[in-house]
Amino acid sequence: MKKNDPKQRHRGWPTLKKILIIMKLTTVLIFMALFQLSAKSYSQETKLSLKFENETLENVFNKIEANSQFSIFYKNELIKDSKEVTGEFKNAMIFEILDQVLKAENLSYTVKDRLIMIVPKDYVANDNAPLQPGKKVTGKVSDSSGASLPGVSVVVKGTTTGVITDINGNYSLANVPENATLQFSFVGMKTQEVSVAGKMAIDVILAEESVGIEEVVAVGYGTQKKVNMTGAVSSVKFQEMASGRPMINVSTALAGVSSGVTVRQGNGKPGSDTGTIRIRGIGTLNNSDPLIIIDGMEGTLDAVNPQDIESISILKDAASASIYGSRAANGVILVTTKKGDSKKLNVTYNGIFSVAEPTNLLDFISDYPTYMRLMNESARNIGTAEVFGSATISAWDTANKDPNGLNSIGIPNYVAFPNTNWNKEMYRKNLVQDHTVTVNGATQNARFLLSAGYLDNPGLVENTGLQRFSLRSNVEIDANKWLTVGTRIYATMNNTELGNYSNVLTYAYQSTPGVYPRYDGLYGYPEAPEESATANNLYPMLNQLKGEDKVSRMNATLYSKVKITKDLSWDVNFNYNKRIDEYNNYNNPLVGKRVKFSTGQIMSPLTDPSLLSTYYNTYGSNTYILESLLHYNKTFNGKHSVTALAGYNETYAKSYNHNATKKGLFDQSAYVFDAATTMISITGTASDWALRSFFGRINYDFNQRYLFEANMRYDGSSRFSSDNRHGTFPSFSVGWRASEEQFMKNLNFLQNLKFRASWGKLGNNASGNYDYMALYNPVSYSYNGLQVTGLAPGKIPNPMLQWESTTVGNIGLDITVLNGRLSGEMDGYNKVTDGILTTPPIYLTLGLVGAPTLNSAEVTNKGFEMNLTWKDHIGEVKYSISGNFGYNKNTVTKYKGQLVTEWRTDATGAPVYYSNIGDVSSGGDTRVLEGHMINENYLMDIYHGNGQYNNADGTVNIEGGPTDGMIRTPADMTWLNGMIAAGYKFMPNLTTAKNKIWYGDYIYADSNGDKIYGNTYDKNFTGNSSMPKFTFGSQMNFSWKDFDLDMIWSGQAGNKLYWLERGYNSSTTRTGFQIGAMIEKDHYYYNDTDPNDPANNISASYPRLKLNESDGQNTQSSTRWLYNGTFVRLKNLTLGYTLPSKIAAKIYTQKVRLYFSAENLLTFTKFPGLDPEMGGYTNYPVIRQIAFGTNITF
Amino acid sequence: MKKLKLIIIIFAVIFLTGCSESLLDTTPYNAIGSTSMWTTESLADLGVNGVYQTLRQDYVGLNRWYFDQESSTGMSRGATSLTNGNIITTDGLFVNYWKQNYEGIHRANAAILNLPNSTMAAEKKARLIAECKFLRAWFYFNLNQVFKGVPLYQVPVTLDEANKGRETEAKIWETIVTDLTDCINEVNLPNIYAKGNANYGRVTKAAAYALRGKAYMYTKDFVKAEADFRSVGTMGTSLYQGDYKLLFKLANEQHPEMIFSVQNIATPGLGSVTQFYCGSRISFGSCWNNYLPNPDLVDSYEKKDGSPFNWNDYLPGYNSMTPAQRSVYFLRDGLTAAEITTFTKYGADMTKYLPVGNEERVRKAYEDRDPRLTAMIITPYSSYLGANGTTPYTYTLRWPYRGFDTAAPFDIKTDTNTMFYYLWRKFVYEGTETPARDYGPIDQPLIRYADVVLMLAEAINEQGFKEEAVTFVNSVRTRSGVVALQTSNSALPTYVGNQTALRDRIRNERRWELCNEGVNLFDEMRWGTWKDKKFYSGNGIKQIWGTLTSPYSWRGDYIYNWAIPQTEVEMNKNLVQNPGWIN
Repeated sequence: MKKNDPKQRHRGWPTLKKILIIMKLTTVLIFMALFQLSAKSYSQETKLSLKFENETLENVFNKIEANSQFSIFYKNELIKDSKEVTGEFKNAMIFEILDQVLKAENLSYTVKDRLIMIVPKDYVANDNAPLQPGKKVTGKVSDSSGASLPGVSVVVKGTTTGVITDINGNYSLANVPENATLQFSFVGMKTQEVSVAGKMAIDVILAEESVGIEEVVAVGYGTQKKVNMTGAVSSVKFQEMASGRPMINVSTALAGVSSGVTVRQGNGKPGSDTGTIRIRGIGTLNNSDPLIIIDGMEGTLDAVNPQDIESISILKDAASASIYGSRAANGVILVTTKKGDSKKLNVTYNGIFSVAEPTNLLDFISDYPTYMRLMNESARNIGTAEVFGSATISAWDTANKDPNGLNSIGIPNYVAFPNTNWNKEMYRKNLVQDHTVTVNGATQNARFLLSAGYLDNPGLVENTGLQRFSLRSNVEIDANKWLTVGTRIYATMNNTELGNYSNVLTYAYQSTPGVYPRYDGLYGYPEAPEESATANNLYPMLNQLKGEDKVSRMNATLYSKVKITKDLSWDVNFNYNKRIDEYNNYNNPLVGKRVKFSTGQIMSPLTDPSLLSTYYNTYGSNTYILESLLHYNKTFNGKHSVTALAGYNETYAKSYNHNATKKGLFDQSAYVFDAATTMISITGTASDWALRSFFGRINYDFNQRYLFEANMRYDGSSRFSSDNRHGTFPSFSVGWRASEEQFMKNLNFLQNLKFRASWGKLGNNASGNYDYMALYNPVSYSYNGLQVTGLAPGKIPNPMLQWESTTVGNIGLDITVLNGRLSGEMDGYNKVTDGILTTPPIYLTLGLVGAPTLNSAEVTNKGFEMNLTWKDHIGEVKYSISGNFGYNKNTVTKYKGQLVTEWRTDATGAPVYYSNIGDVSSGGDTRVLEGHMINENYLMDIYHGNGQYNNADGTVNIEGGPTDGMIRTPADMTWLNGMIAAGYKFMPNLTTAKNKIWYGDYIYADSNGDKIYGNTYDKNFTGNSSMPKFTFGSQMNFSWKDFDLDMIWSGQAGNKLYWLERGYNSSTTRTGFQIGAMIEKDHYYYNDTDPNDPANNISASYPRLKLNESDGQNTQSSTRWLYNGTFVRLKNLTLGYTLPSKIAAKIYTQKVRLYFSAENLLTFTKFPGLDPEMGGYTNYPVIRQIAFGTNITF
Repeated sequence: MKKLKLIIIIFAVIFLTGCSESLLDTTPYNAIGSTSMWTTESLADLGVNGVYQTLRQDYVGLNRWYFDQESSTGMSRGATSLTNGNIITTDGLFVNYWKQNYEGIHRANAAILNLPNSTMAAEKKARLIAECKFLRAWFYFNLNQVFKGVPLYQVPVTLDEANKGRETEAKIWETIVTDLTDCINEVNLPNIYAKGNANYGRVTKAAAYALRGKAYMYTKDFVKAEADFRSVGTMGTSLYQGDYKLLFKLANEQHPEMIFSVQNIATPGLGSVTQFYCGSRISFGSCWNNYLPNPDLVDSYEKKDGSPFNWNDYLPGYNSMTPAQRSVYFLRDGLTAAEITTFTKYGADMTKYLPVGNEERVRKAYEDRDPRLTAMIITPYSSYLGANGTTPYTYTLRWPYRGFDTAAPFDIKTDTNTMFYYLWRKFVYEGTETPARDYGPIDQPLIRYADVVLMLAEAINEQGFKEEAVTFVNSVRTRSGVVALQTSNSALPTYVGNQTALRDRIRNERRWELCNEGVNLFDEMRWGTWKDKKFYSGNGIKQIWGTLTSPYSWRGDYIYNWAIPQTEVEMNKNLVQNPGWIN
């Protein structure tokens, strides 16, 4: 039992009010103990060892409470004359102890789970009220799940007459006046009043006070009761998630748990697998990452062990985020780590073992004869020489029939005639381990938490693994009555293996099945004589480098809290954050050696040590934050509650980078600089930024009914010139808890109803550190064989550079109905970002200088988001289902003007097509234009004819031709030739021929009617982009007895992904490059000399194969390659089992939970590419984990 | 009281450590603000170095040689959008050519504007300004050569001012001439730098005359061109006279023949990359044979006596055979039965095959030729000193390829082992001459005296047939061991009798002498011979015997004037696209 303030430890129950004071402190925890931990009959399973020597009963009870989770209730009078107790118990049940210590007294007790009531021996439950005229009312009080509620006060309204419910939640109240009203109250539950008129039995179901009236949520520079909040804040009870899921990093775990929050995992490579978090869509054209605050200090999510996190708050609107001012435009994520809070010392172990595999892989053709035939087909298609000789192809065909046959030097056919599936070769299942041990506890004056974590993620691909070590120490000491000091120190160290995954990615399609990967420890070489010598073997590419890659982070906060008066306190925080990356690589000479296995010939030898180079890179960053906060908190007349905050913050960050390379290692084992001979290069740089801020906040509430909040922040940033560097960011919000109004109180179905509204302004200083200055940067040249330094302008400066500012208006509604079974939050917002910091493309005529950073566009995001939770039980199965949904509409509201496209006449009167696209819009295939969404897809369409060919008069029908843009039939070809003859131009290849436009090629629509089909003026805005319009997620939770089942779903819809990628879904081939498996059977082929060729496939969905890199006929950026990016993914499924505490106790633990969990188990999507979550390109696949985990508290 | 004291102390600590006034005034650590730039001699020097550094951009200087893949003298391994006739206005070639040269222009403009205000000796200041004017002329020259009239900027511009329309081609030539005339008139600009001079690699008067003369060639002002080219000869320049192959080696990178070169040193990012793209798998560091000599160039090299080469003279009936049939002559001795089957299937006329002597027979066709052929190009059954790692080996170009990098038979391995192509020797390092494939030490010539001498001959000849022009051509021929041309004996193959004949001779001479140096394509475009020499019917990327790998296709005569980059036309309404191009 937690008892914060000794002064409040009133014993006895002279009045119900006093009981309530005690209850306030205890019942929440009891409640949690009873209904959340699902522990069965604590009293029957708990064994205590206690020793008493001449102690009062009060002391005895205190000791019991201190050493267990029992709470003991009694009247002081009952024990004031009690005798002193002496006795010793070893592993005794509570009943034994109580029997013993009470045997000399005229007392009895009742126990229900953790709750013990001491009563007179002659006590008859429910019948202790004085005799009064009136009737007797009995009943039972239970909660919404049907569990009985003991300890509920039942009072006749307006009197002090009342009882509390017994262990079974029953009460009995005699002599109740007929016109009376009974008041049922219980901390954590909503008070209910019932008129007794005409009733003898009144059963009551008490609703939880919304999500719990006492729920406290972290907000900027403080905490706030959830019910009193006026901003749009989502809070995530991270601790519960983290203890039940295999969680490699924090960011990806946030997917699907909150409305308005989109998390996209770009790839699954250990170390770079963090998710990209977007709060309420993309508000800006540049950095859209939210500000991350960890325990009040800016940080990064990667640096935190998920197991250390208690809760996460996501500040979504300006009202809640503007206290962070200039960097909060993309929202703020507040992470609160766990503290020591238990009087007992708790040791918790969390362990996860998971098997990880790729969620998806896009295969290449791996049957080499098929590959060779298709390469030849692609050469024939454009009228060039075939690549592979028929002898080579038939040799493979023969060998493939006898894969284990040996050749003359004893090499099996499957090696000498490879059919390599590079995906199968490179990707493997692995075992991820994650262990965390946490120790926490508290003494009278100090609270502490220590944790140590270890994560080992070997990666899906050899030599790409990551090990993470993490430590944390949170200590807080009450130095005296008015001073509290503390530290929060955490450190992580990441060790990443040097396997160059990006090489695997880059070269996976720059290889062919004709290279055997690795045999006998040696790397293979292309086996076919016609195969390109540049067809890569991915193993050497992956293992090119040896060395180490360590990232160490240390973050220390020292803080003090001074209580100046009862209402005023002052916090001083100092934070120092250090990151250091130590990177060294040196060439692995072994990868140079490659062998043609069929002949045993070494095609390239070990790299000579004199050519090996060694490279060191050190990157460091140091940040300090100094912060001073004054907090004021007072309630006037019991109804007017005011809290205020004033603060100062200064932040300075500097980073640096040193690189050096030397070449010529005398031996591959010696790779430090002293072991290398020739200096190749030394480079290095540094940069810094600073921020100084003043900020404040006032909250006022009247009777917890009318709520008001105002924030103001004044920021100065080093990233802008002294004329433009200061910005002011105010916000205001109001709330009305309508459910607190008298006229609403009688609506029994309604437990909470709150309306919220807010307005505020936020900033974004996401420019480069020195973008406002005109600078010359170093370059190198040489004269007479000697290197010299030069200076050249680097980036066009913009001295007028300023903050980008975002104004957000938000209205919201929180509601809880049906006794807490249904609760929800809804928010609508209008977010306008002005002066967006961008670097729009500049005139090519300006050369190679970087485009300046400008305050350019205005973007409006309008959206709606909603969370709904339904909690109930069916028999013994408790469940809750919550869903969140977000809709966001993104529009560029101001940019460079309206797009005008029209036909005009030139001086000669000839029609000229006019378009100002280049003036008013920037970008390429995705563009920014006023009135459209940010980076809207801007593409041409393939041609859609009506399937007719000629007009009645025999002339070519310009509406005719192929219906799906592809020249498929001789009739299509005739039509096309007719069109060309009639003067129409078909870009880019213009004429019909095998190496121009031929059967199986796309033609494009002429959308502007200039008779040129598929020129740049035929590109159009498509009304979609890669950002989803809709995001949704769902959490489901079921529990039955000791089992629990959780699911997290997340998804997005309303976006389109442009995907055309060489080697995957492109029909363009190239020697030494892969052909995607998806086009093997589904590409167009037509033998124009033999219309009956069985190989003809004129209804295919992919165009004909072409051995040509520079022919763009089928690779124009068109809507042909635009795919729906909608997906729904089961992010997590967890089945857990908590050991009955009796069994747990036997193995000396308090609690043991075992679970199976699966991450990214299922994905539903129509997107044919690797992963719609990644976007329209292929990268390191996201991993699917099947995990076994355990969670033990000792 | 105690509490108050402590509070005061904490306050004091905070205000002493924080709140420094300069907190927000951060400045970069690796750059200099433009306001202080150009003020001191040292900064001005660095600024001028920055202008020179633009020469390291591909299309400005360093890699101009690879334009010859598009000319009749070179070819690429795979089709390019320019040669397969599918090039459009958004092509990266146009974009990068435009951007890179304009980068140099703006750097030079800033230097020319600001140098007068910097503190340094007047002589040096004048020299640096002249150097920057030359460089500016170089950049505009590159642009005007292909785009024919571009926007003209001669002072630094702001973001919004870079939207001028195009000047005429003539106007740009005029400004180039003006800048170069300023250089020539600058007394502080040296004629040339002697070998080993610390300033070697900077602009000289010789370079200015050469470039101005070339500008006059474009404006067809042959009198002025002739005068300028003659002046180059008075500046201390000379033709190299030793072993021709060594002209392109490190020892001669500062020979007086080299008038203006991109400076290379063996340092990452500051060296040459020709060998990377023109070498082969057995050139140093396993290079790529992306760029190849054109068989047309090889066939055009004359015999030693000055007569045209004809395959029939060495391989009777060759000219009337199909390309596939001809391939028999290039096969190695001692083919295996399997190889014979393969080549029979391929279509080679195996009746002509000699199991012994097949190599010797074809080798003869290359021996009795202009010595520049074998000095610049690896021909079948000739050897090349390559390297495997740091170990040099001598390799031979044979067909079909059998192996190996470190063991007999030491065949030259290429990225195109199933095709048989000539390979460049020119600018490809031998043995271990370079420490790495991507940063060779040898300077890349941009203007060579041989180029000037041949242009001088051209300038004279364009005014009328003159004996002197022949003499100038001969000076380039004879120093590499080629028989001299003459005007007296019409019975001899070396005879040239009129302007037209000499014009053809000069043009071929420029192809033979300047191949793979980034001159030929622009010559062909200047002469208007590009279409006929490169895109004649049936031509394409082809193997030695003429089998096409990929056909060429002429997009239209309008490609003589390259397209203004599409995005620039879209952004800048004042720019008018060259006729013929579809936006």
